[in-house]
Amino acid sequence: MTNISNIPVGPMPGPSTGFSNSQPQFAAAAPSSSSSSSSYPSTSMQVSFRLDEGYSEETRSQTGSEFAVGGDMKAGVMAGQAPAPSVPLPAWVLALNEVDRTELAYAVVRSLHTSSIAAIVQRLDPLLHLDPVTYLPPELTSEIFSYLDPSTLLKASTASRAWRARTMDSSLWRQLYGSEGWGVDVPQIRNFEREYLYPNGPPGRETRTRPADADVDQQAHKRVRVRPRNPPTAPVEGGLFGRGPRSPLQTSYGDDRVDDGPQGWNDQHGTIEVDEQISPEAGSSSTDARMTEDSQDGDFALSAHTSQSSQTPTPTAMDAMLSHTSSNAMDEDMYPSPLLSAQEVATTTHNYAADLLTAPSLLIHPAFGAPRVNWHYLYKQRRRLEDNWDAGRYTNFQLPHPDHPHEAHRECVYTIQYSGNFLVSGSRDRTVRIWDLESRRLLRKPLAGHTGSVLCLQFDERGDQDIIISGSSDTDVILWRFSTGEMIRKIERAHRESVLNLRFDDRYLITCSKDKTIKVWSRRELLPGDTDYPRITGAGSAVFPSYIISPVTHPYLYTNGQLNKKVKPLPPYSLLMTLHGHNAAVNAIQVYDDQIVSASGDRLIKVWDIRTGECLKTLPGHRKGIACLQFDGRRIVSGSSDNTVRIFDRSSGVEVACLEAHGNLVRTVQAGFGDLPGDEDDLQAEARAIDQSFFAARAAGSVPDAAETGRLRRRNAGSRNPRDILGYGAKLPPGGGGTRWSRIVSGSYDETVIVWRRDAEGKWVVGSRLRQEDAVLAAGGSRRAIPQDRFTVPQHEMAQQLTLLHHDAHAQHHHPPNPSVQHTPGSFPHIAHAQAAATATALAAQGFHSVATSMQANWPQITNGNQNSNPPSNPATGPGGVSVTAAAQSSAQHAQQGIGANAGPAQHGGTITTAAAHPPPVQNQTPHLHPPPFPNLPQGHLPANHPLNHHHHHHHHLHPAAVDAPNGASQSNSRVFKLQFDARRIICCSQDPRIIGWDFANGDESVIEASRFFTGP
Amino acid sequence: MSNTIILTSSDNVEIPVDREVAERSILIKNMLEDVGDAAANEPIPIPNVNEAVLKKVIEWCVHHKGDPPAAADDETESRKRTTEIDEWDQKFMQVDQEMLFEIILAANYLDIKALLDVGCKTVANMIKGKSPEEIRKTFNITNDFTPEEEEQIRRENEWAEE
Repeated sequence: MTNISNIPVGPMPGPSTGFSNSQPQFAAAAPSSSSSSSSYPSTSMQVSFRLDEGYSEETRSQTGSEFAVGGDMKAGVMAGQAPAPSVPLPAWVLALNEVDRTELAYAVVRSLHTSSIAAIVQRLDPLLHLDPVTYLPPELTSEIFSYLDPSTLLKASTASRAWRARTMDSSLWRQLYGSEGWGVDVPQIRNFEREYLYPNGPPGRETRTRPADADVDQQAHKRVRVRPRNPPTAPVEGGLFGRGPRSPLQTSYGDDRVDDGPQGWNDQHGTIEVDEQISPEAGSSSTDARMTEDSQDGDFALSAHTSQSSQTPTPTAMDAMLSHTSSNAMDEDMYPSPLLSAQEVATTTHNYAADLLTAPSLLIHPAFGAPRVNWHYLYKQRRRLEDNWDAGRYTNFQLPHPDHPHEAHRECVYTIQYSGNFLVSGSRDRTVRIWDLESRRLLRKPLAGHTGSVLCLQFDERGDQDIIISGSSDTDVILWRFSTGEMIRKIERAHRESVLNLRFDDRYLITCSKDKTIKVWSRRELLPGDTDYPRITGAGSAVFPSYIISPVTHPYLYTNGQLNKKVKPLPPYSLLMTLHGHNAAVNAIQVYDDQIVSASGDRLIKVWDIRTGECLKTLPGHRKGIACLQFDGRRIVSGSSDNTVRIFDRSSGVEVACLEAHGNLVRTVQAGFGDLPGDEDDLQAEARAIDQSFFAARAAGSVPDAAETGRLRRRNAGSRNPRDILGYGAKLPPGGGGTRWSRIVSGSYDETVIVWRRDAEGKWVVGSRLRQEDAVLAAGGSRRAIPQDRFTVPQHEMAQQLTLLHHDAHAQHHHPPNPSVQHTPGSFPHIAHAQAAATATALAAQGFHSVATSMQANWPQITNGNQNSNPPSNPATGPGGVSVTAAAQSSAQHAQQGIGANAGPAQHGGTITTAAAHPPPVQNQTPHLHPPPFPNLPQGHLPANHPLNHHHHHHHHLHPAAVDAPNGASQSNSRVFKLQFDARRIICCSQDPRIIGWDFANGDESVIEASRFFTGP
Repeated sequence: MSNTIILTSSDNVEIPVDREVAERSILIKNMLEDVGDAAANEPIPIPNVNEAVLKKVIEWCVHHKGDPPAAADDETESRKRTTEIDEWDQKFMQVDQEMLFEIILAANYLDIKALLDVGCKTVANMIKGKSPEEIRKTFNITNDFTPEEEEQIRRENEWAEE
């Protein structure tokens, strides 16, 4: 850091201060800062006079009705360029009252030549322009600046030193950071600040930690829960980012204000940066010393500052601060507000005074109290990080480290999760492995215990949890101790077939399976009557074990409604209920609060009540089976074998976006919308407005009529154009709402990962398309050095681990079906398959929120319609499984190929429905064996670094390699199974046993330093 | 209980005002609650606000008498902050800068949040869309940076450019 403050910027305001203009506070204390006599006006004088003259109530109230005079004098002083008249006014003039003096002045001016009048006007003009930064106290300029966006703020920062100091205020940038919808890891920040301050443990002095806490607490309760493992966000009073229901900017209004002068003002407003100099007894010596130290020691070593902290400037000023602090402590907690922490304004500003011109650094060192993270710095680095995402700038890495290839899984990796510095992976090699993300090394030896592929897992490394739970194709669920790797418990035969996904929170473990069911397990001891105990309502299709009791089912266990003492609590990991309703494998589940959301090969998404097991909603929309989903409480984002990612509004069930760019099944998806606190109403209002413009456009005839719309089957990735609207009545606008930093990352069997972002209109577009295989090479790995067949997953295994593929295999095999497929338990009777296809197709046509459907109904009815057309309640569906790939087309293909013994009527029905309901789009008529890799990708959206021929190249091994090719024949086998992203990285696993990451910090040390505090969008 | 109370400005001018109007100020409202009805007939000193400013503030309070009380809703606060100002308020704020700042100070002191917001938004709008030089002109700010320093800051600020 250069010592900018010593650069002479102009004549010194006074002869003996030893300080340059860049330190207004101290110049202010200099003896010669009498501005009217100075021929070198400077900011410092303005500052000093704001305090002495410009705001002292004492002065003003004594001048009584001569307010305007006082104002003029003040303005003249502050303006600097327009000093008060050098001709002293005669006493009789001063004795005149305002009106008379005005008249006199006017008369005098009128007696002059026009050119003289013009000169006077010019001289007076500055008096009409006052600098708010010098006129108003910092907490009020902070309030003003809080209405400015970052780029305006930065422009304003170049106006003057004083403006720069105020606009760089950390609390302003904290608010801006929050309003972008960016997340921050609060405990991480707090720990960092504490550790920095007390590397050897905390001393007794704790007085000043409060504002720091209030500082980060604002960020605490917030964030869409992207990862359910996050502890439930407790509703906390106070805004997320905002300034709470701040009533007074200061708390201690009162009579004290009346009887004292500048010091009273201090008390009232908290201490601001320059106040300490104005009180005469605030000897400049100590503050000078501090400042000098800063100026000389650009390094801002902690020790220096701690010692400064104890070296208080004056008892008076310090007392004022402390009393301010203590009197405000409660308010700061209740209403975390930048305005309340005037102390903070003061201290950060102070720091910037020495640091005005240089780039912000991670820590600021207030004159008093603990160093704190600098939100200006965090904002800047976050913005640079986001720019890297947008521009596709990243570095790659892999697990294991390329120097230790032996640590890799031995076969493909189906599942990963990472948190903090840990990543846990589960593989077809039947092991679970724990990795250190820093060193990229295996942390301990692989966890062995499953007898089949590890298909799903979740972990929570925090001390009170310390657990990994994994599910496998062996139908077992295993609990491991994270810290030691030991197996704690095995739930054998948790399901009848492969455990495809699992999620847990503090209360429940939820598992789902290829056996079409979802199971809810307890994680704690439960007694009937406990909040988390299941409630048998009889309304749903949930099946409860006989030991789940209620007054209805087990009246004899209750006396007068009270539970008998004989009833023992359920031990942890008891099965609480089994949810039936899906007609195919349940591939993915999510839990949010009291709702479970599930996605199935039957093309449906269902929402369940976690206590009663009732199915609250069924959402159709996908045209083939669904492989993955994410639920944030408002929206459900799902990826399907129909190659799309769709976003549904949870409350209305309306599909608000459909993202098409993948060329194969979308196997994994994560979304971050960056919701701002309290924006539900805004989003709903926006959604309504768009509905209305749709109705208006329809009335005006500019929207295609129903038949046409139905035939085109258009999809909408978030456009608000009435012509693009597919459905209405949603509580979310098209695209699903969220900030401009919203991000969806999806991974596909097309061997790519797509980073979706919003364009200027809010539409989802492909931001980057990342190729798994390229990443392997970039991370220092090589193309498979190990024999191919080692890692090529046989088709039957693919089918087994994700039933989605089951029918793909059928549909795509020209030769007789792989026997192993038929060995797969639960192989679907083809008759059911065809029927289901027909039903689901018809259903999709009915339930689809097309303009066609909605023409004669208002929106609530449409929603109901969807629920009613829920296939499980449709007897015609039959008992068989519904194919995931249930596109009518593939059933037709089945029929032509003569595979299976399709019954005539069913086959017939399927075909007819297909033709009538929705003729497949042109690109889907391409034989399934050779789908174009990126069917609907507009040319304009192709990333520049992936020219078309590149795509064409991948086309070749895109699908036959993965499906039909004999082992070893393919060059690439990089189907993406699971990914996770955070603010900085995407990490994914695939058919390749190496786990691959993209790091968007892109090697930038500043971004890396700041990133540890960032959470996802 | 009297419906009219007397406020005394810093320059010792007594201004009668409807109690309901005056209670737009949380400071006065709390004060009245504290002293009770008996003392409410006494003039209330407003020692930090002179007559001209106090009258202006009262004008605002009269116009906004019927406004619903500000939602104590911090969520609204934290959302994207708009600087839209309704028409009457815009006109009301067309005053010289000194009066504008004095209104802000008075609104802050008297704890009239809505008026404070309008004042701050007005100033914010005077900053928006302006070049640094225009900002300096608007507020009569002396540029105390050297050209080199200015360039240094400009470079440092580059990260935020779209």
